[in-house]
Amino acid sequence: MWMKKKALANELTGPQKFFAGLVLLIIFIIMAVPMWNAFVVSTSSLLSSTQSGIKIWWDDFSLEGYGYVFKVTKLFRPFLNSFFVTTVGVIIQVILSAFAGYVLIQKDLPFKGAITSFVMLTMMIPGDLTLISVYQMNKQLHLLNSYMGLIINGLISGFSILLMRNYFTSVSYSLAESARIDGASELRIFANIYLPISKPGLATVFFMEYVSKWNSIMLPATLITDQDKYTLPLMLKAMIMQDTSTSGTAYAPQNAIMAAIIISMAPLLLIYIFAQQYLLAGMSLGAIKE
Amino acid sequence: MKATKVYKRIKRYRFIYLMLLPVVAYFLVFSYYPLALGIFNSFRQVKILGGSKFIGLENYHNIIKNPLYLRALSNSIIVGAGTFALQFLWGLTIAILLNEIKSKIVKSAIQTATFIPYLLSWAVVGGLWITILSPTGMINGFLKIIQGDSFRPIVFMSEPAFAREIMIFTGAWKGAGYYAALFLAAIVTIDQNIYEAASIDGASRWKQIIHITIPNIASTMKVVALLAAMGVLRNFDQIFMMANSSILDKVQNLLYLIYNDGIIQFKIGPATAAATLVLLATMIISFTVRRLLRYDDSYRD
Repeated sequence: MWMKKKALANELTGPQKFFAGLVLLIIFIIMAVPMWNAFVVSTSSLLSSTQSGIKIWWDDFSLEGYGYVFKVTKLFRPFLNSFFVTTVGVIIQVILSAFAGYVLIQKDLPFKGAITSFVMLTMMIPGDLTLISVYQMNKQLHLLNSYMGLIINGLISGFSILLMRNYFTSVSYSLAESARIDGASELRIFANIYLPISKPGLATVFFMEYVSKWNSIMLPATLITDQDKYTLPLMLKAMIMQDTSTSGTAYAPQNAIMAAIIISMAPLLLIYIFAQQYLLAGMSLGAIKE
Repeated sequence: MKATKVYKRIKRYRFIYLMLLPVVAYFLVFSYYPLALGIFNSFRQVKILGGSKFIGLENYHNIIKNPLYLRALSNSIIVGAGTFALQFLWGLTIAILLNEIKSKIVKSAIQTATFIPYLLSWAVVGGLWITILSPTGMINGFLKIIQGDSFRPIVFMSEPAFAREIMIFTGAWKGAGYYAALFLAAIVTIDQNIYEAASIDGASRWKQIIHITIPNIASTMKVVALLAAMGVLRNFDQIFMMANSSILDKVQNLLYLIYNDGIIQFKIGPATAAATLVLLATMIISFTVRRLLRYDDSYRD
């Protein structure tokens, strides 16, 4: 009897286990069913998507929602826009963050303290609160309604620089010192010693920032009014708002909205499937930092 | 003598400074300059066709007296605090219960389903829930089954009575998996010997959760609370995507109002003054929360 009780203490009792399982099941349903519903509606015919029902299984499978999205909404253009500005921006960001992160690990670099505070302080300036000045400045620089504007605003973050610095500090500094004594150039030390060891750091910055740039709403909403330059979130907003307006002119059907949602999710799902360890690593670092 | 030494060191690092140059230039132009310009303009009456003038604190005065801004402030706080409370409980529940699950497949299925909404943009999450809450959406479909013949579809998104609740629920739905992942990461680092010692002393598993697991992730809870406090006045994406004219009164928050005033209506002076106030308020809130939680103390040891 005593033995049994001791063994039991490693886990919950029977009824507690049942209750825990039930709570998790309910949470799972609340989280997963809406996403599943989006998938089912996106692959249903217009008729079945406009009828009321729970719609967690197909009663009339059809890809016409996707057809609508590409023919009528012309979602391919915003998709390419998002893909282009996100990819280019993230690649530049990874390179520049690696550069700046490398600077921050130099021992006895003159003005290093000032440089570090200069970078850290930018994390205290929230971009969303300087939005109006950002808009004015982009107007002066003729960056409104341009891909250049979408790429360059929010290009670098103090966070990505600190993340790279943290990875670089795990490389032994004496390794770099001895290479320096052997006459290796700074570029060689950086490219041949630091970068190869810090690949996980580069990947973490890449995927974290890919997600955040892909999802960016406020900046494009501020900079872009030309429909040809719309990114995916702006197009989604336009589709949804038409739907809730009462004017009734050319509103997007629900299967098309859900199709656009599934298309917007796709790259993020791919990143989650293939690179979740980097996302989790970056996320916990972000939480520790501030 | 000393000056030449410093110069020598600077010369030695000239390549390093070159690497830093683009980042410094970027931050000066896209971070520091907009901040300075914003503060500068908040004291001015800015006219679109030029000819702006210094008007002292008038913009600030107008913002503080403006009932729209006061309402937006209370909307921000109500929705922000509600979302945080729900998301915190939700995330903590997921993390603690998942830790009790032995099956790897069940565990990763639940983790995936809870984490994916966190990765999605508000464009996606907003669009998803607007569709689900629409008259022909899933929720009304569910009500139809329960209510049978007496069913009348509810237009949830145009119902002011549900507006804040919807924002709080969808906010927590999107973020719960993030908190759960942070809590779970803290839980797995707890020393297993503590649990073993407790079970030898006869403590039940439930008691172990209350007295070992939860106290041991207190510092993560503090981080999460601080992050939430710093973001509470800065929610934009959700309201931008999900608000509409029939519920705007209940959910219009500070950043959305600033955006509308500054970007859409070109009231640059008042909008930058409001943004500066939000920046100050955010700093005060995060400072206060740090103190209340004794945040810095927990990292001293």
